[in-house]
Amino acid sequence: MSSGLSSLSSSDELDNFNPRTSPTTPPKPLEEELASLALTLPHPHLLSDQEDANGVSDGSEADSNGLGIQQSDEEMRVGEVCEENVVGNSASMVQEPTGGSDGAGVVWGRTNSEIEVDRPASPSSSGYAGERGSSSASSGRSEMDGVAEDEIQELRDDDASIGENSNSVPSWVPGKRHGDEDDASISWRKRKKHFFILSHSGKPIYSRYGDEHKLAGFSASLQAIISFVEDGGDRVKWVKAGKHQVVFLVKGPIYLVCISCTEEPYESLRGQLELIYGQMILILTKSVNRCFERNPKFDMTSLLGGTDVVFSSLIHSFGWNPATFLHAYTCLPLAYGTRQAAGAILQDVADSGILFAILMCKHKVISLVGAQKASLHPDDMVLLANFVMSSESFRMSESFSPICLPRYNPMAFLYAYVHYFDVNTYLMLLTTNSDSFYHLKECRIRIETVLLKSNVLSEVQRSMLDGGMHVEDVPVDSLPRYRTISPHLGQQRAPSEFPERFKESYAGMGGPGGLWHFIYRSIYLDQYVSSEFSSPVSSRQQQKRLYRAYQNIYASMHDKEIGPHKTQFRRDENYVLLCWVTQDFELYAAFDPLADKALAIKICNRVCQWIKDVENEVFLLGASPFSW
Amino acid sequence: MGCSSSVPDRASGRSGGLNPENNAADSKNLRVKLVLLGDSGVGKSCIVLRFVRGQFDPTSKVTVGASFLSQTIALQDSTTVKFEIWDTAGQERYAALAPLYYRGAAVAVIVYDITSSDSFAKAQYWVKELQKHGSPDIILALVGNKADLQEKRKVSVQDGTEYAEKNGMFFIETSAKTADNINELFEEIAKRLPRPTSS
Ligand SMILES: Nc1nc2c(ncn2[C@@H]2O[C@H](COP(=O)(O)OP(=O)(O)O)[C@@H](O)[C@H]2O)c(=O)[nH]1
Ligand SMILES: [Mg+2]
Repeated sequence: MSSGLSSLSSSDELDNFNPRTSPTTPPKPLEEELASLALTLPHPHLLSDQEDANGVSDGSEADSNGLGIQQSDEEMRVGEVCEENVVGNSASMVQEPTGGSDGAGVVWGRTNSEIEVDRPASPSSSGYAGERGSSSASSGRSEMDGVAEDEIQELRDDDASIGENSNSVPSWVPGKRHGDEDDASISWRKRKKHFFILSHSGKPIYSRYGDEHKLAGFSASLQAIISFVEDGGDRVKWVKAGKHQVVFLVKGPIYLVCISCTEEPYESLRGQLELIYGQMILILTKSVNRCFERNPKFDMTSLLGGTDVVFSSLIHSFGWNPATFLHAYTCLPLAYGTRQAAGAILQDVADSGILFAILMCKHKVISLVGAQKASLHPDDMVLLANFVMSSESFRMSESFSPICLPRYNPMAFLYAYVHYFDVNTYLMLLTTNSDSFYHLKECRIRIETVLLKSNVLSEVQRSMLDGGMHVEDVPVDSLPRYRTISPHLGQQRAPSEFPERFKESYAGMGGPGGLWHFIYRSIYLDQYVSSEFSSPVSSRQQQKRLYRAYQNIYASMHDKEIGPHKTQFRRDENYVLLCWVTQDFELYAAFDPLADKALAIKICNRVCQWIKDVENEVFLLGASPFSW
Repeated sequence: MGCSSSVPDRASGRSGGLNPENNAADSKNLRVKLVLLGDSGVGKSCIVLRFVRGQFDPTSKVTVGASFLSQTIALQDSTTVKFEIWDTAGQERYAALAPLYYRGAAVAVIVYDITSSDSFAKAQYWVKELQKHGSPDIILALVGNKADLQEKRKVSVQDGTEYAEKNGMFFIETSAKTADNINELFEEIAKRLPRPTSS
């Protein structure tokens, strides 16, 4: 049965689907790819002053074998699209012509399972019928007020003020912070990154900081900007004002805005707005739009009552969860047999009319299966896991809740049975049948029995303690390969082929060659695996900075105008970042800023080989239509 | 997780929706579906947790969708009653989905907060909704919770009693915090359950 996580829709595509991470034709070693650089034309004006630059293709020479490098080895900032210097209070606008319906380029999943709740027609409780829209027009403020230069200033210790302790999920205070602020508060203006949701009539729906109701005037200003441009037939994408970037996303009657001075690329911020919108759809479905058809001034805040915590935890995760920009999910490392055992029982119950059965440990997947042809988008998994983990009530007892998977079907609710087996491990059974609670409860009992009997739950606990891949364990000799590395994912360290001095100089300083961290994303599997943070990136702040750097390089690798790139090597005062994209995987690796380039490349190849050796354990394999 | 109901009571899920297949397992051991309704924040979850686990956690954990818990009590006449309890969220966005939880319920406990007139108005809305769409012979209980907050009281005992009488409901004031009247609430409900006529 299929639990394909790629967005497969037709059976033709299924036939071509390659469920393995191992490519049929292995990619060229990275050395070879970078060696071919020497043959390509340098890009002189980009390369002046760059000490380590030895050649960059201008991208016009497409390599015939498809593995070539279009542009790489640049030690420069890519992706600076907007002008930095905007004078005074004027803001420069970049507009995109209106084209697609939603303008988002989102490919929705299947929509043939629309479910309506079978309910008595009750005039007072139909849909989101609460016609709460107040009639007062939003206050008049000048259009540009809201985004005037320097209104929001950088606040150094924002976000970083909490929890300096390292490792996986950082501490986080649930709920809205600074709910007493409004746009007149200096503290509010100094926040580094704001997110807003508002309606097309300018009514506030959500604000990361401050009380939505007090921000009515500010919301109206944002609305004025958007409608000003929309009236001209264009759509605002972003505005640059001084240090601040303002990114807009229009979704029918709902507007989303990010105001940020974090220097994240536009694509990242836009992706974050897309996720915030998806989170809202997960809670309400897209049928909220109908409320605005009935009453354009509809006040949506009441519909989202009690969900502040869901949004704040999602926004927080932009800083620590790579799934939010990689559009891939990650698995808890487990022995192959253990994961198989979990998958088998999930499959068993899924055959009885469950759409998706997902077993997770925090934000990591233990196993998941889907009904025939149903596929779960990785973004939906991020949103679903965030929703469940941030809502404390799921931990109290088993629950049955309507939820919507925006990439699966944004119009309809599914019903989620949620049960925690222990503090971190939870099961989600999703169905289209609103009447199936007792059936799902029985399924859970069966699953629990099997998981206990086959020790899956204790293995999960152990994996949590052991952690995943450590850069210190990257095998640096070429032979022999480890066949089974579980449970400690390659902790038998091999003698090094590298000179002793490397081992010495990097002792306690990350892995061989100055490797600090890596993320490997398998394209076919929609999964990624990242290393645990090593000591050079132990603080929360360092980790966040590294993720920002990854986000930047990810955006530039995927930039349609100047990319897509095959490889990129960047050196700045914080890191050497090496990025390698093939048809099968993407590797992002961070090294010591003084790392030797040739050695770094060698290490990257080792990492890729290592991951192939342990792919059975770090990925969920066989989640393909062929497994049944 | 701590639910006393972790044993499957029937062979397979054919029908029945959110209802246990039959309310009465046998004449000595009753099984009953109960739903809690009322505005968000009135203390529904606290009442259930007090009844089922004997705990009170003042830090509010907003319910999502609905939680399912069960608890069995023994009555004087040596019958037992197993309550299968749906603790609903009470938020506006779930209002349209409430029938999912109250359909087929034998008992509905409608809760308000004695310190909030709004929540009392909301309780009346739920009463009407259930009179219209609930099971015809549903037992309705009206509960004024947070009775420990006497000094902040906005809804008088008399208002509650009168409204309940007019609508043929059983009325009680409780405090999940002090545990006052919590067991009494469920015992009173149990006494009012129709006993199955043996067949
Ligand atoms: N003083 C007092 N507070 C209560 C009582 N019951 C609940 N609360 C508080 O009311 C808030 C909401 O309770 P909760 O059970 O989550 O409400 P629900 O939304 O109806 O489930 C929580 O902060 C509780 O601590 C009570 O009997 N007395
Ligand atoms: Mg509750």
